[in-house]
Order: sequence, then C-alpha cells, then structure tokens
Amino acid sequence: MQAPAEDGTAATGGGRWDRRRAVAAIVGGVLVAGVIALLVVGLVNRDVGTSIQDALDEGERPEAPGLTAPVLIAADGVGPAGAQVSLDDLRGRTVVLNFWASWCEPCKREAPILNDVARRYEGSADVVVLGVDVQDLSEKALAFAKAHGINYPSLRDSGQAYADYEITGVPETFIVDAQGRIALKVIGELTEPAQLTTALGQL
Amino acid sequence: MIALLALAALPSAAAALTVTEVAREVRCPTCNTPLDVSSSPAADDMKEYIAERIDRGWDKQRIIDGLVDEFGEGVLATPPKSGFDLIAWLVPGLAVLAGLAAIPFITRAWARRRPAAGRGETPPPTSDEARRLDDELRRLR
Repeated sequence: MQAPAEDGTAATGGGRWDRRRAVAAIVGGVLVAGVIALLVVGLVNRDVGTSIQDALDEGERPEAPGLTAPVLIAADGVGPAGAQVSLDDLRGRTVVLNFWASWCEPCKREAPILNDVARRYEGSADVVVLGVDVQDLSEKALAFAKAHGINYPSLRDSGQAYADYEITGVPETFIVDAQGRIALKVIGELTEPAQLTTALGQL
Repeated sequence: MIALLALAALPSAAAALTVTEVAREVRCPTCNTPLDVSSSPAADDMKEYIAERIDRGWDKQRIIDGLVDEFGEGVLATPPKSGFDLIAWLVPGLAVLAGLAAIPFITRAWARRRPAAGRGETPPPTSDEARRLDDELRRLR
C-alpha cells in the first residue's frame, strides 16, 4: 500500500478515499479474525491430547472418559453382540480396558496374556477384562478373536474412544478402578500377566 | 500417435470399478493419508475389503458406505458436506467470490493512484525550470 498523494491535487477525493480504506480494513480484519477463529477451533478439537498421561505422571487417578460402544464379542456378562454397552454399566467392577486391532502384531502376542488374566477373574464380580477394537474391520476383528481364542468381551469403537482415551497407537491397556478412575496405563504390548495382576491386587 | 492416445484412453473407458478408484475416496485411519497411497496393515485390510466387495458387484457408493459403517465418517477422504465440516467446502468458494468482487474496486483504486504516483516521483519544476520549459515549447511551436 502506498501513502496517499501528499500534494493538494488529490485532496478533493481524500475523504471518500479514506472511508473506503477504513471499510476495506474492517472487511480484511473480519476475514483475518475468522481464519484465526477457525484455526483456534481446529487446535482445541485436536485429536490427540495428553491430559490422561499428564495426570498419571503426577500420581493422580484421572476420571476415565465415558465410553459407550456396541458389543463386538459377547462374554463374561457383557453382551449380547450389537448391544450398546457403557463403561458406566460396569461401575463397581474394576475394568481392564485393552485397545486392540486385528492388524496389530503386538496385539497378537499379548492376546494370551489378556486371556490368562481374564480366566483368573472369570465370573468375578470385581474385575472384568474388556477389549476395545479400534480402526479395524469387524470381520477381521471377529476372525482375530476366533484365531486367538479370545475369552473376554470386546466393544467396537468408531473412533470416539480412541480420541477420548488419547490413544497414540495399539495396543494400549488401562485399568479403570471401581470408581471409574484410571489407575494404570500401559502403552504398547503386555509382556506378562503380572503387569496387570499386581496392579489389580493393589486396588 | 492416435494409437497411443487410444491406449491412454482405454483404462478410463473401461467401466470396471478398480480398488484404487474406491481407495481414493477414503483415507487410512491409522496413517491419515488417502487409502490409495497407504500401505499400512490396516490399509491393506481395507483394500482387501474393497476388492472383495467389487467382486461381489457392489458399486462405489455402497462400498464407501460400508467403510463409513465400519470406521465412522472420519474415514472419508473429503469432509462431509454438512454441519461444521461444511465450512471446509464454503470458505474456498467464498474466498474466490470475495476476490472477484474486489477486482473492480482494486482496479479503480489503482487507476486513480497511478497518475498521483507519477507526479510524486519527480519534484515539481522550479520557477526557473518552468520558464525554460515554456521557452522550449514556444520555440517548437
């Protein structure tokens, strides 16, 4: 933008010119503010947060995000398949929440460990192992469950739980205590049942 | 040359639906890239799903709807044309319209400013220069 002509010749139209520039500045300002507002909305609604991990790092037990999803595999009192089940329905029981997918290699390796833990607490009113199948095709997930003899129930997430639990990749396992707070988070593959049973025994 | 052109036109002329055609419309949920350029295990599963449905005679939209049922709307390569996501479709169009609407005003402003800028480049002639200029012009006449 150039400065308006200083000499007197342009002065006649100067008033109108200034008004026009003011209008242009306001319109431009509104447009820029709109773009900034969109960017802020985008940042606030970001997919990946760290608040759960931050709280756990500080020794707190953050409230477990609400989780309602259809049952993919019915077992241990959770079902029937297709029914909507919420974490609130299991309040009073400690929930071992395992996020998994059929295409995930570490999930295959840790499946026997989860089966083992689930078997130990089978029929227990205190603990339930609950899988959450994410980013997966249901037919593949069912085939996975069959191939690995999965004996615990699983829900099927459409992306909401993945975001709410701030998952960065599968597998990830949480222990949600009877009050609905996250007591433990294991990122990556479980290598032995004690990773869960020790924590479960302390609750 | 004509034969070459005909050859190039062949794939698009063939009506059969390809996996790539469908894969272009969705994205790989684990890698956040269009499915046709993704090669993660999840992407391979999805391509297999698409290939199986094509074999069963499903059309493109039905396969895409099936994938949305499996993964949610986030699987679509383009945002849905409703709700807040509509902004992604409207803003570029509105920006172009605003640009087009601004052209008459900007060009008029430029046209008005150019003579003023021209005068501004050189200082006005002093009285001595003006007299000499008048003399020269008179001599030319």
